[in-house]
Amino acid sequence: MSEKKNITDDHHHQHDHAHSHLPSDPELRVKAVETLLLNKGLIDSKTLDELIDTYENRIGPKNGAKVVAKAWVDPEYKKRLLNDATSAIRELSYQGRQGENMAVVENTPETHNVIVCTLCSCYPWPVLGIPPTWYKSDEYRSRTVREPRKVLLEFGLPLDPKVQIKVWDSTAEIRYLVLPMRPKGTVNMNENELAELVTRNSMIGTGLPKEIK
Amino acid sequence: MSRLHDMGGRFGDGLIPLPRGAENEVTNFEPTFKYKWHAKAWAITLAAGALGEWNLDISRHYRECLPPKDYINFSYYEKWLAALTNLLIDKELISLNELKEYVFAAEKGTLRKFSDKDIKLDQRTWLAKDVQKTLGWGGPSIRDTNVSPVFNIGDKVITQNYNPNKDISGGHTRLPKYAMGRVGVIHSYNNNHVFPDKNAHGLGENPLPLYTVEFKSSELWGELAESQNDSILLDLWEPYLKLFPN
Repeated sequence: MSEKKNITDDHHHQHDHAHSHLPSDPELRVKAVETLLLNKGLIDSKTLDELIDTYENRIGPKNGAKVVAKAWVDPEYKKRLLNDATSAIRELSYQGRQGENMAVVENTPETHNVIVCTLCSCYPWPVLGIPPTWYKSDEYRSRTVREPRKVLLEFGLPLDPKVQIKVWDSTAEIRYLVLPMRPKGTVNMNENELAELVTRNSMIGTGLPKEIK
Repeated sequence: MSRLHDMGGRFGDGLIPLPRGAENEVTNFEPTFKYKWHAKAWAITLAAGALGEWNLDISRHYRECLPPKDYINFSYYEKWLAALTNLLIDKELISLNELKEYVFAAEKGTLRKFSDKDIKLDQRTWLAKDVQKTLGWGGPSIRDTNVSPVFNIGDKVITQNYNPNKDISGGHTRLPKYAMGRVGVIHSYNNNHVFPDKNAHGLGENPLPLYTVEFKSSELWGELAESQNDSILLDLWEPYLKLFPN
């Protein structure tokens, strides 16, 4: 490629945005750009398939659930997880893109943690996968920092006024995972059984693990 | 002033759009990608990013720089695709004429993908065999530098009360408007990270100390805060902060 331009905001004001030339139907829009990039050899269709398959079938909240279940049964692991989450999570082979710097925050009877990204949609991909639509919504992004209790109520999670809420706004490259409290009545359950109780929302702080009936 | 993406705390947004089942009941299930084109918009953004012509901060800033009308009207992956298109043009990976030609063909239904043997892959193109390896590395933002943090845990600090980007008016920053000019306490120091305010504009990585700063809910939202006890924690770079005189 030739010499690169130094992009500044002013650059955007000098001409129409290129994206305004795209078709109105988003499906066609993607198709046009995708085909152009494929034909120019700038992307490879097998790479796209591999990426989509990875996050549809291999990387998701089941990974995070295993981390949580391990922390519930293994106090030494829990200590490592809270001290250096990135390394402790890597012990289970979960690492990399959008999880390069992990932090785990622990729920206790006194404190409940909730994760949000008000500026975009930062989310710990290696342990939770691609964020759900609600996490990326304007509603969640705008309201969670100002009225977390009302937001949690919509998720069916009424919190005792005595419990302190800590809202973590992921404004940098640290990615957060909530360590929920282990449900009562689970002393006889093993790690795999416990992992089944850990919901995605319980690791974002907008839910709790499943209860034992 | 700020941009529309900086929406923390704003008023007017309704109920959280939770996924619903056949009986309109809230469900927890949602496919990873609701439509095939969502998956494609996401995947071509990652694959084009791997060409190495821009960094994460630049691509974020391109999304933020969409005109307000488009930012509001576009769905999530429409924003991604629009920002990607602008980047591809600005970085001269595609030309406007090529784009128009493909758009025209897409609308006429005559879009044609070349057969594999007619495609010459660019040297930079991300190959399927490298996908897992590259994802596993990710793109760490911590840098080993000899910059020492100025603040200590427990220090009271006040955030800048305007966009802290001193290089570019309306430039990229990660200090949200709702936390500008507010007093918080240093909760932790998290090493030195690439500074987005510079990196988003091609001005170098300039790694600087990154802190987690805790703000009382009442400091951000005043007497009408939901609970005086709650707190909000943000990850903020050193230039966003000044020591608050006790």
